[in-house]
Amino acid sequence: MKRETDYGHPIKAVYTPKDIEGFDYERDLGDPGSYPYTRGYHPNGYISRMWTQRMTAGLGSSVETNRALKKYWDMGQRGGLCVINDRVFASPIDPDHPLGRKEAGVLGWCGSSLLEFEELMDGIPLTGQSITLLGSCAPSSLRLAYIVALVEKRGVNLSEVHGSVTESPFENYYGQTDAQPLDLNLKLWLDSSEYIIRNKIRMRSAIISQHFQESGGNNAQAIAIELAGLKELCGLLVNERGLDFDDVAKLPYELVTVGTRFFEEIAKVRALRRMWAKLAKEHFKAKKDKSCHLLIAVHTSGRTTTYQQPLNNIVRTSIQTLAGAIGGCTALDNACLDNAHAEPSPLAARMSLNTQHIVADETGVTDVVDPLAGSYFVEYLTNRVEEEAYKIWNKIEDMGGIIKALKNGYVPEMLRESAMEKHREMNDKDRLIVGVNELAIPPEEDFEIPIQEVKAQDSEKIARRMEEWKKKRDMGLIEKSLSQLYEDAKKEDRYNLMPSIIEAVKAYATAGEIIGVIREARGLSYDPFKMIDCPFKLE
Amino acid sequence: MDKGQGIKVVVSMIGLDGHSTGGEVVSKILRDAGMEVVYLGTYQTPEMIVEAAIQEGVDVIGISSHASNYSQIEELMDLLRKKDLNDILVICGGTIPKQQIPRLKEKGVAEVFTPHSTSESIVNYIVSEVRSANGAGRR
Repeated sequence: MKRETDYGHPIKAVYTPKDIEGFDYERDLGDPGSYPYTRGYHPNGYISRMWTQRMTAGLGSSVETNRALKKYWDMGQRGGLCVINDRVFASPIDPDHPLGRKEAGVLGWCGSSLLEFEELMDGIPLTGQSITLLGSCAPSSLRLAYIVALVEKRGVNLSEVHGSVTESPFENYYGQTDAQPLDLNLKLWLDSSEYIIRNKIRMRSAIISQHFQESGGNNAQAIAIELAGLKELCGLLVNERGLDFDDVAKLPYELVTVGTRFFEEIAKVRALRRMWAKLAKEHFKAKKDKSCHLLIAVHTSGRTTTYQQPLNNIVRTSIQTLAGAIGGCTALDNACLDNAHAEPSPLAARMSLNTQHIVADETGVTDVVDPLAGSYFVEYLTNRVEEEAYKIWNKIEDMGGIIKALKNGYVPEMLRESAMEKHREMNDKDRLIVGVNELAIPPEEDFEIPIQEVKAQDSEKIARRMEEWKKKRDMGLIEKSLSQLYEDAKKEDRYNLMPSIIEAVKAYATAGEIIGVIREARGLSYDPFKMIDCPFKLE
Repeated sequence: MDKGQGIKVVVSMIGLDGHSTGGEVVSKILRDAGMEVVYLGTYQTPEMIVEAAIQEGVDVIGISSHASNYSQIEELMDLLRKKDLNDILVICGGTIPKQQIPRLKEKGVAEVFTPHSTSESIVNYIVSEVRSANGAGRR
C-alpha cells in the first residue's frame, strides 16, 4: 500500500516542528480574514455565515426538476440551489433536434429556453438564496440571459440576485464537454463576464478544478490548472476588455473536488487560498483586500464513490464533507451514495443533505475556524502541495499560459497520465478501495439501492413539447431579435453580444436557435452536428 | 504483454455524453495488451460507430457510458443485427445500474464491465471470446 500523497510525495509516520522549520505565522498563515488568507476569509468563519448546504438537481422535465428543488428545500437545502443542465442544453442544441430528443432531461435539466427556466423556478424565489446553474461553457450566456429576463418579468431588483451561472471555456478539455469551438466559447465567456462586471451583477463564473480532478487529475495538478485558468481569464478581462482587476476579482469562483484522503484535501483548500491571494496581490496588483479572496465551493468526489456496496459511499461522503467543512468553503454539494449507478434518488439526496446537516450541527467543526492550523502535518502538507503546484503552474506559464498548454497537448496528456496512474494504483492494489480491490462480496449479496431511472420516452416527451411550443411563439419577434443578433455576431470579437442574446431569450428564441445564429455569423454550420439547417432568413 | 496481439477494437462513447476518462483508460489498457485500438471519442452516434467498426474491420466494439439512458446502446445493437454484423463482440462499461445489465445482454451486449473493473478482467475476457470464435473475428 502506498504511503504517499495523491501526487506522489512520501508520507512519514510522524511530523515534528522540524518539518515546518522557518514557519512564520503572520507570513504563512495570517489570522482568518488576514492576508494571505490561508486560514480563511472571515474572522468568525461559519459563525458569521454557514456554508450553503445544497444538492445538485436536474433530471427529466423542468417541471420535474422544479419538484425536486422543492423536495430538497424540505430536506434542508439552505442558502442556495444548484441545477446542472443536461447534455442537450450543454451542447447547446434543442430537445427537438434529432440527437437532442434521445437525451433530453438525461443527466440534467433540459434548459433550452426561457420557458424551461420559468418552469424550473416556478414558486422559487430568485432572491434570498444563491442561484447556481452549471454544466459546460457554451450555454453560459443563455443562463445569464435567463436570469436577467426572469428578474425583469418578476419585477425583482437584479442587484439582489446572486449566485453563479456562467462557466469557463476550458471545461471541454476536462470532460465537461459542449459542442462548440474554443474561440467561440472564449468570446462568449468574455462577453458574459464583461456584462456581469460592467452591470455590477452579483453573478460569479465557475472557473473550476472539479472536472479536471474528477477526470483523474491529482491535487497538485488541480491547483496548478485552477490558478493558471484564473490568471489567464482574469488577465483577458483586464487586458482585452479594459476592466479593473478589483472588479474582475469579484467574478470567479472555484468548485474544488474533495476526496477521501482527509488531511491532504484540507491542505489543498488552504494552499489554494494562499496561492490566489499571492496571485491577486503580486501579479494583478490588487488594491482591495476582497480581491485576494477566492470564493471556494466544495463538491465531494463522485469519482471515489464505488458501484460495489454503495452504502459504503455514505461513509466516504461523510469523511469528505467533514474535510470540506474543516478546509473551509462557502457552499457544499456532496455526491450521493448512488453516484456510480444513476442520478440521485430521493433517498440518496436526503442522505447527502443529512450528512451536511450532521457535520454542521453535531460535530462542532463550525464553532472554530481552520482548527487544524498549526498541526505540523497539515502545515507540512499545505506547503508541499503548494510547492508541487507551483512547479506545474510555472511549466504552464513557460509555455505561454493555460490556453497554449491545453492546445499543445501538455495539460491533456498530464491528465490522461494521471487518470491512468490512478487506475493502475487500484488495479495493482497500491491504493485500497474497500469492496472493490479488497473485501469484495458477490453482487448477489449486495444491498439493493433504489435507482432513479430515466426512460427514453421521458426524453421524447420533452422533445415533442418543444416541437409543439415552438410553433406557438411570436415568430415575428423572434426573427427580428435573431436578425439583430446575427448582425451583431458578425461584428468584431470585442463586440459584446449579451444585449442581443438577452433580447432573443426574452422573445423565447431557444438555445439551439441563438447559438446556431451566432455560429452562422461566424461562418460555422448552424447545427454543430450538421443535421439541421437554420430555419430563419437572416440577411 | 501481447496476449491481445491481432485483436482490433473500437472504443467509443455514445451520444452526447462527454465523460471520456473511462474510454481513454480502457484504450490504453487494451493497447498495452497488444491490441489495436481505434478510439472514436465523444459525440458518436450508433451509425458512426457501426460505420467505423465496418471500415476498420474490428473484432470488438467497446462502449463507455456514463449517461443514464441506454436507448442508444440498444439502437447500436439493432443496427448491428440489421447489417448482419452479429460476429462483432460488443462490450460496455461505465455507470450502468444492475437492472440495466440484463436488458443490454438481451439485446446482444456480451458483457458489461462495472466501474473499477480490473485491466486483467477486461483483457482476458476479450482475448478468450475472440480467440474462441475460431477466427470469425477479423473481417
